[in-house]
Order: sequence, then structure tokens, then C-alpha cells
Amino acid sequence: MNAKRAFYAFLSLLVPGLGQMAAGAVARGIYILLGTATLWGLTVFTAAQRARFPEQVYGLSFAVLTRLFLAALVTLAVLRLVYEAVARRLFPTDDEFARRVANVLFVVVAVVVFSLSGPMMLQWAVPPGASRSLYTTVLLIMAVVLAGIWWWAVLDAWALAEAKARAEPSPSWNGFIALVLVGTLVLGTRIVGIDLPKAIREYKETGRILGDIVWPWRAAFDYEATELRATALVQAPCPEGETGPPVNEPKEGEPWVVVTPTCGDLSVRDTKGKLQYGTLLHIRGGGFVPGKVVKIKWENPIGNEFTPRGLGPTEIEVGPDGTFESELYIPDVVIPSFAEGPQIHKLHAVQPGALRFTGKLSREMKLALQAMLESIMIGLMATFAGMLFAIPMSFLAARNLTHSLRTSPQGLVGGVFGLVLGGALGWLLARQVAAWLGGLDKAPVTVALVGFVLVLGGAVLGFRLLGAALDRLSRRLPGWANAAIRYGGFALIGAALGWPLGLGYAHGILGIAWDPAEVAAAAPDFARLGAGLGALAWLYLAYRWGDQGVVPIGHWIYTATRTVLNVVRSIEPLIWGLVGVIWVGLGPFAGFIALTIHTIAALGKLYSEAIESIHPGPIEAIQSTGANRLQTIMFAVLPQVLPHFTAFSLYRWDINVRMSTVIGLVGGGGIGFLLIQWIRQVQYEHAGLAVWLIAITVSTLDFVSATIRKRIV
Amino acid sequence: MLRVEHLTKVYDTGTVALKDVSFTVEDGEFLIIIGLSGSGKSTLLRSINRLIEPTEGRIVWNDIDITALDEAGLRRVRREIGFVFQEFNLVERLPVLTNVLAGRLGYVNPWWSLFYYFPPQDQRRALDALAQVGLAEKAHNRASALSGGQKQRVGIARALVQNPKMLLADEPVASLDPVLAHSIMGYLERLNQERGITILCSLHYLDLVQRYATRVIGLRDGRLVYEGTGEDIRNMTDEEFKQIYGEEAQRLGG
Repeated sequence: MNAKRAFYAFLSLLVPGLGQMAAGAVARGIYILLGTATLWGLTVFTAAQRARFPEQVYGLSFAVLTRLFLAALVTLAVLRLVYEAVARRLFPTDDEFARRVANVLFVVVAVVVFSLSGPMMLQWAVPPGASRSLYTTVLLIMAVVLAGIWWWAVLDAWALAEAKARAEPSPSWNGFIALVLVGTLVLGTRIVGIDLPKAIREYKETGRILGDIVWPWRAAFDYEATELRATALVQAPCPEGETGPPVNEPKEGEPWVVVTPTCGDLSVRDTKGKLQYGTLLHIRGGGFVPGKVVKIKWENPIGNEFTPRGLGPTEIEVGPDGTFESELYIPDVVIPSFAEGPQIHKLHAVQPGALRFTGKLSREMKLALQAMLESIMIGLMATFAGMLFAIPMSFLAARNLTHSLRTSPQGLVGGVFGLVLGGALGWLLARQVAAWLGGLDKAPVTVALVGFVLVLGGAVLGFRLLGAALDRLSRRLPGWANAAIRYGGFALIGAALGWPLGLGYAHGILGIAWDPAEVAAAAPDFARLGAGLGALAWLYLAYRWGDQGVVPIGHWIYTATRTVLNVVRSIEPLIWGLVGVIWVGLGPFAGFIALTIHTIAALGKLYSEAIESIHPGPIEAIQSTGANRLQTIMFAVLPQVLPHFTAFSLYRWDINVRMSTVIGLVGGGGIGFLLIQWIRQVQYEHAGLAVWLIAITVSTLDFVSATIRKRIV
Repeated sequence: MLRVEHLTKVYDTGTVALKDVSFTVEDGEFLIIIGLSGSGKSTLLRSINRLIEPTEGRIVWNDIDITALDEAGLRRVRREIGFVFQEFNLVERLPVLTNVLAGRLGYVNPWWSLFYYFPPQDQRRALDALAQVGLAEKAHNRASALSGGQKQRVGIARALVQNPKMLLADEPVASLDPVLAHSIMGYLERLNQERGITILCSLHYLDLVQRYATRVIGLRDGRLVYEGTGEDIRNMTDEEFKQIYGEEAQRLGG
């Protein structure tokens, strides 16, 4: 018996999990093997990803991991032997608590041993030529984890065989799960790139930006600069005999500046980059606020203002009488080659004053408010449009309303033929109407709407009328006639369903690998094959159901509607936003489409659940008065679900407004569009405004909708 | 005349609720169905107007095979059969008057129902029916504001405006106290005697059965195990009692 256990353990030493499989626990073995293989592969992949050309280092990484793994395996084995020898003597084996203490001690000792020997192991495992930075502690930890799993699998195979022999429950998974978890988390930190030191180092910069976002309200308003300014004109260059503009006169009661001469030559930077000074200007000014600085600015002929550097003082303190004096070389202004003759420059003496609050909203704030309104409207419109479609869909997705829809197989045949016939008639009619209206381009909405109503109405009407007619007829027909209808009709239905499936298989599945010409040639054959198989499958169904069979069409409709709703709902509005942008271009309409699609699915599900939770009693009562389906819905269903519908719609409006603030990230209009733009332009104050508006709107709406909901339900 | 022939109902879960039940009800009878909870009383009543689809058997009423009717035909038959429920089954959020008017749904043009519209004569009829059950002044209250006994009277008014030839009542007084129970049963009796409406009613209390029934049938585990008159119930033997209610059942009072 021991030999058998040892054999299983040995198998698991060769391939982890193999021993378990041999011992009869196949699923357990597969889990262990898959877990180990996945972890091993992920480790190699992660290590290699750090190289610039990873495909060249997969082999190397694998080799390094293997060497580290072997070292860890041997070390663990040695440690375990020592542990067994020591622990046996120190701790009584039958004491559960002591055994746990010993286990913890073993882990601690192992961690210490590996931390001490780790650098040596890495030294040994990484070949001299390889970049050492690729193979670091993470790889070592993973090697130890893998070695731990290996040994666990060996011990587990042994224990499992023992448990099986004694018909005891299998030993616990805890060790394996803990090791896999540790390995996954360690790999996770590397793959996610978690870098705590970086996060701590960079906090200062973040604080400044966050400050802008947290309190951006200065950017919400416009300010007027109340500066004192005086200007003098200077002509350059100065041909012989010219004197330039007239010299300013000092004025009483307002700032003034006098520059002499008013005509001179520009400084020039020669080919070596050295500055050749131009004419030295003498500057005198007055009428400024004493004790404060006046800044000298130069304005070139095309209106660009700048502070001249290295040509004289540009910040001069104003004396007690409000005057100042200074000197400045005419700067080296680059004059375009096509500019001819003398140009007039301006010298400004500017004394910055306090910014004056105007009380007017800044341009950005106005933009943000406008975009916020757009967002709220997107949310509102999408909610209403979604409700419009969600209500009828929710009736189809409510189990308690649909499950009573049943028919005989003959009725199904009639219904399907009616569906096709009615749809086709509706289509023909719609084309006539479209032609009369002037085509899709002339009146797109009318034509699309008429087409939709006619085709859908025709299909539904055909389904109901022909289905009911055949259902009734089949009760009076002899058995052979019913069988003929059933088998014939089902074969046709099966063929009609199988035909497109065959085509789809040819184009969609074979088309991936095959040459398009080959696919096109083979497609008709596959279509015929699909039709044949479909007909066969449905003939079998016809046989199975017999002429007394009950076809649960209601359940089919329910399942189909639910599936569509679930798929649509599981796709995030942001993705639908991309679809919307591709469909109708950038802007709020795209966002509206995205949110509407998602709203239909979400509300459809919520509504249908509200319908499913209503009391069945009133439905029974209304039905027993002889009411038809529509009347039952109006009198027994709607009054019961209306409060829930209202509450869910409000809740959805709330969600939609929240979503509409981010739908702009993908180009769907609204405030998200501005937000992402301002973030990319590093205008964090303006971004902060957008964030604040979003927060205010969302929390207000949240409060309002919660209050209304509380009143209704 | 109502003939129930070999009626069997097997639910999707496999429960056999009714097993080969056959009986006949003459016009103008007050038939009471007795039996334990789960004996198939509700299923039987609901099978008669096909709120529940019978699995096998026929129900023939005035020479119409109800079990063979299509949807339109079924609705025409249903509007002539009133139904009164144990839990009243009013639409709580609608006004009392609308609940009563709902009894006319089988007669009015269905498209009008989209706007909750009823012709004036139907409205008068509904108010009359409410007055008959003594609730005229509650016409514009919400149904949810009524007490249990009032709700059941609205339920009866709803059945009344259907102008029914037959009334099915599924334990109409089980949720009410004894005094109310007698007053509700009194309404049913008046309808039976004054208008000649056939009544099929399931009940728990044998004293009520003795007081009101012209005929009684007993169900046990979906089978018909007893048939008799109201008079017969008064003289019921212990064997018969145990046949209906099981070996462990004890008769109280008597």
C-alpha cells in the first residue's frame, strides 16, 4: 500500500496532478496541472515582457525560472527534512495547536532562508550575458511558490491515496489555493506595475493639480486687470535725417513715459550669436504709484508684446514722487525680410495693479454650463426614448404574461407562414407608400416609420390571424390532414432557418481560412446542406410533438427578448457611444443614441421584473370577465406596474445623466467632451469646474429622484 | 345546465389536481363544493371558465363545449360567468367604480379600454350594482382603502355587472369574519333566488353549507367523493365526513 502511495507521489513529482489523476481524482489532478502550468507560463511571460524584444528572451526566461525552481525545490526539500527531524522532537504530533505553530514557524524560517540565499540563487541562475534587471526578486518568489506547489502536489497525492484507501473525504485544498493566490498576487503587482515609491515621490505635483480641481472657482469668473500703462513710440531703423515720431510730453494726473531718442537702430545678433547693441534709449516716466515696480515692455510692429532681456533694467522701482528713470537698448527684433523701410515700435511702461472682480462668468464657465445643460438633456431624452421602446419589450420579457401564449404545432405552422406573408405584404405596401412619398432620401423619417409599422404590423397580424385560423382549423381536420400540415410546414420552417445558417457557416466560419472565391463557390452547397439539416431537425420536432403537442411560443418569445436585452445591457454605454459616433458623427446625438440603446435594455429588464412581481389575482379576475389580452394589460397589469415603472424610469434618468457626463469622453457630446479636452490641455482649473458641475448636478438629481421615488412606491 | 365530464387536471409540476371528476348542475342551483385545502376545489372552479386549462375531459354549458372554444368564443362565455375570489382580486390602485366597470370588459369595444372609457349605460349599471351591495358612496374611493368585507362586496358587484347566468365563487368568505361571511353569502343567495343565477361556490364551514346549499359535492385529492343535498349534510354520517375530510378529521359541534 505504501509503495502505491509513493508511486502516486512520484507521479506528481514528475508532473503535478498526475498522481492525483492516477489515484482516481481526475478533476483534482486537472485543476492542479492547469493551475501550475498557468502560473509557470505567466511567470515566463511576465519576465520576458520586460525585455525590449520579448520574443528573444522567452527561452532564456524559461531557463532561468527552471534553474531557480530547481534550487527552490531542493532547498524546500532540505528545509522540510530538517523541519520533520526538529519538529518531531520539539512538538508532540497529536497536539493540533502545536502543529499549527510549527507550520507557521516553518513558513517564517523558509522566508528567512530564501531572503538570505536569494541573491546567491539569482547569481547562479542568471547566465552572465543576460540583463540582470530582467530577472529579479519577482522571479525568485515565483520559483519558490512553484516549488511549494510542486511539493504540495506530491504530499497531496500521497494523502489523497491514503484518504481514498480509508474512504475518507479528500484532503483540503487550502495549501494549493494559498500558494496559487500568492503567486498570482506577486505576478499581479508586476503586470499592473504597482510602484509605491513612485506614488509617494510624486505626491507634491499631484497636490497642486488636485488643488485646482478641488477648488476651481476663480476660473469661473472674469477679472479685469487694473494696470497703469503709458506708451511711447520708437522708430527703427533710423535712416539719415529722420527723427522718428514726436517725443511725448509729461502729462499731469495720468501715467506718462518719455523716450529719447524716438528713432534708432535695432540691436542685432551676429552669426556667432553675439549681440551687437543698437541705440540706447533714455526712459523717463511719471504719474505712477510710488514705491511699486514699473515694468518695461516692448511691442514690435505686428503687435507682439515681450519683455526685453539683457538690454537694460525692465523692472524699475517708482520714486516717492511717482517718477522713474531708466535706460534700454532697442531690442533685437526679428524683422521679416519682406518688411521694408522704417517700422514703428512701442515701448510700454506698465504698473500692474490688483485684479478686479467683474462678477461676470468666464468663457469657460459659460461653456461648461452650456455643456452641462446638454448632458442633462441627453440623459432626459435618452430616458424617454428608452422608455418608449422598453415598455413594449418588457411585456414580451415578462414570464407571467408570455407563458400562457401557446399554440398547437399546426397553429405554429400557420403563425410562421402568416408572419412571413404578412411581413412580405407589409414590405410591398411600404414600398408603394415610399415611392408615393418620394423615396427614403426625400422623407427619411416618414418612410422609415411607415415601413417599420407596416412590416412589423403585417408580420404580427399575419402571425396572429393565420396562426389562430390554422389552430382552429386543425381541431376539425382529420388526423392525416393535420399530419400533412405539421410535417410539411415544419420541414419548410426548418429549411428556411437552416438555409441562412448554412450560408453563415460558409461565409463566417470557413471564410476565415478559405479563399473568398472558394467560399463563394461552395456557399450554395452549404446553404442547401443547412436547409436539409434544418428540415430534418424540424421533421423530428413535428414527430415528437404530434398533433396534440403544445408549442410554448410565449416561452420562446420570452427567452429571445431576454437574451437580446441581456446582451445589449452587458455592453457599456461608452461602447455604444463609439457606435453612435461612427453612426451619426461627433456630438450629443451620438451620446443620445448610445444611452437610449442601453436604457432600452436596462429598463426593459427592470420593467419586466416589475411585471413579473405583480399579483396574479387581478389578472385572473379581469380575464374571467371576458376581457381580451389588451384589456387585461390595461386593467390588471398597468395599474399594478405603473408606480414601479415610474420609479425605475426616474432611477434610470438619474443614471443616464451621470452617464451622459462621461459619454463625451468618446465624443458623445455633453460636458464630458469639455472635461477630457481641458484635461488634455492641462487646464486643470477648468476641468475642476466641469467636475464640480457634474458633482452638483448628479447629487441634486440623485436627491430629487430618490425623493420622488419614495413618494410613489 | 352545466355538465362536467371526466375532468382531469395535471399541472406542469406533475401534481394531479383533479382526477376524472363528473357531475351536473341544473340551472338555478346553489351548488357548494366542500373539501380540504388542496383537494382541487379552486382548480375545479377555475377549470370551468378555463382560467386553468383542463388536461382532459369536457365542460358543457347550455350545449356549448367550453373546453373546445377558441379565444373569442371563450371570452363570450366568460362574460356570462361571474367569478368571486377568496382574495377579492380587486385592482387596488384603481377606483372602486372602475373595478366594478371592469365587469363590462367582455361587452365593450376593446379599443375603448385603451382610454379606460365605458359607455354611459355601463356606468349607470355599475353604480346600480354598487348600490345593490350598499357601497354607492364608496364609488370614487381607491379600492385599497376598503375593508375586507367591502372589497368582497365590490367583487360581487363586479360579477353582477357582467349580467351573469352563472356565478363561480372560490371560498368567497374564507378571509372574512363570521358575521361578514353570512352577509356575503346572503348576497349570493339573493342573486340565486331573485335572479335565478346558478351558483357554484366552494366553502369551508359546514354550517354555511347547511344554511345555503341546494346541492353539495365533496372533493378529496382531486376525486369526487360525495354528492348530496343541503339536507343530506345536516344528516351526514361520520363515515361520510371522514370520506371527505380524511380519517384523522374530527367533527366539531355538528
